[in-house]
Amino acid sequence: MAANPSSAAGSGLLHATQAWLAGWWQVVHLGALMLVLALSAASHCGSRWPAMATQLVRVCLPMLPGFTVVTALISLVIIRIVTVTALSYGLSQYALEMLVRVLVLELIPLAAALYASLRATLPMAGELAALRQQGGFEALLSQGRQPLIDLVLPRVLAGMLTVMLLAALSGVLTLLLAYLSVHGFTLGGFEGFSRTVGRVFSPVVSLIFSLKVVLLGAAVTLIPLSAAMHTGLKRGAWASAELQSMLRMVIVMLGIEIASLVGNYY
Amino acid sequence: MTDSRPAAAAPSAAAEPEMTQVLQVPQVAQEPQVPQVPQVPQVPQVPHLQAKAAALLLLLAALLLAAIGYLLYARGAFEPTQRLVLVADNSEGVLVGMDLTFAGFAIGRVRRIELGDDGNARILIDVPRKDARWLRTSSVFTLVRGFVGNTNLRAYSGILADPPLPDNAERRVLAGDAGAEIPKMVAAVRELVQNITLLAAPDAALAGSLANLKTTTDRLNGPGGALGLLLGKPDDAAKLMQILERTNALLARVDTLTGHVDSLVLKADAQVFGNQGLVPQAHTAFGQLAPLLTDARATLGRVDALLAEAQGVAANVRSATTDLGPLRAEVEASIRKLQRLVDQINRQWPFARDSELKLP
Repeated sequence: MAANPSSAAGSGLLHATQAWLAGWWQVVHLGALMLVLALSAASHCGSRWPAMATQLVRVCLPMLPGFTVVTALISLVIIRIVTVTALSYGLSQYALEMLVRVLVLELIPLAAALYASLRATLPMAGELAALRQQGGFEALLSQGRQPLIDLVLPRVLAGMLTVMLLAALSGVLTLLLAYLSVHGFTLGGFEGFSRTVGRVFSPVVSLIFSLKVVLLGAAVTLIPLSAAMHTGLKRGAWASAELQSMLRMVIVMLGIEIASLVGNYY
Repeated sequence: MTDSRPAAAAPSAAAEPEMTQVLQVPQVAQEPQVPQVPQVPQVPQVPHLQAKAAALLLLLAALLLAAIGYLLYARGAFEPTQRLVLVADNSEGVLVGMDLTFAGFAIGRVRRIELGDDGNARILIDVPRKDARWLRTSSVFTLVRGFVGNTNLRAYSGILADPPLPDNAERRVLAGDAGAEIPKMVAAVRELVQNITLLAAPDAALAGSLANLKTTTDRLNGPGGALGLLLGKPDDAAKLMQILERTNALLARVDTLTGHVDSLVLKADAQVFGNQGLVPQAHTAFGQLAPLLTDARATLGRVDALLAEAQGVAANVRSATTDLGPLRAEVEASIRKLQRLVDQINRQWPFARDSELKLP
């Protein structure tokens, strides 16, 4: 008896939907596991600290100078454009607040997350997938060690700390450049500048900003690593899973950004 | 990494390893009789690993702590403040965190906006103690909403010698809304446009006035000109021209008369102020009169002396007249004594006669 094509297509769509939803569940599940393991000091201290430190140094240190320099240059250009334009329209008193809101609150965390995902977390996920395909997980299991603790947790923490460090360093540097561009090399405008920054960073905005950075770091780290943990072991399976994880990552980042905008301005 | 995977220990390539399976250590993997196990992934060696990792973590912690501290400082968490409550009819445009300015400097922050029991908006402002000296009991607070930009809260202290504003002071804020003036302005402009439309209508007074003005202009450009326009009739204009001609003749005669008067004035000037005129002669006469007056003054001085002497004589006469009374009394007393002496002699003298009368 020949199979009904429509029923086959429907079962295929259902299977794809189930796989898509299962992928989201796997991300959430991995996040919960990593949260529990991260809150346990035994997971990343003591004998496991070298692995943690290694991942942190391997991931964060190479990209820190480059990202900081690129962010500083782009920020300097944007600061200059905004201040000159605001001055020409007689709205210079709002230029600083706009710079803080646009650069520090919105663009820099997003850029840090994207940069970390492209330079760190996606390669880390590819490396983890290769390890898994080559039987590294089984080797660890055979030695009584946990791959989640020894391989995944250091990479997750390193990815999240990298995003946080990039965002914090670039944010501070951008604030410094904005001050120097507007007021010059003098401390005369420090009080007014601080008042403007304080007005922008209200408690609600600060909380949303912190949550956004942490969630962006978690998204760009957990989604690729989850895909690497659950992709098939066939050759070429990781390429498809990587694309899927990038799509999920972009969707989540957009969602976080929209939610932060809604929280800040509505 | 290893390229060889034993079939007994490794799961099948098609099976997806579940997370729970990953977390559970299979007993099979710990059995010593497994002939070959995959190679455990080795951690690559990084020089100065501990120091670099610690530096990164310290950098992150320092950035976070510095950011938190700076934000607390920027929001005024470390400076003592006093509370100021501004009451407004409408708090539209006022945001939590916006500044209260004095002379262009921010001296306070809006901390809270609440609706009071009386329906008025209460704007709670924290003013740092060091800036509170600019606020006095006589200070005025305004809430200005501009066309462009945010709303501004401003303080004005005209008399800085007044007592300082106490803590939790409540003041009424004066609202100046530029946007609220727009409807009034639009209504005024609409009324103005309506009036202009009425004025510009074909049957409006302005059109009639313009027609009359055109008629007037035509008559001005006509034969009678402005006089014809003013007088209305051409005959009157001719009469007016005759009057003007006669006036001109009269003025010519007046000019001649004026010339005569001028010559007369010149002659009079020569008679009065000339070399032989009245004024020089009078000047000479006055010069001669001066010695005469001096002599008259001397004569009068002598007369004064004579009068003084006469006054002395009169005084003597008055005193002599005064002494005549007692002299007369003395003379009369002497006469009476002589009378009594004569009577006595007559009685004693032989030739005395009997003066006694005897009756027959």
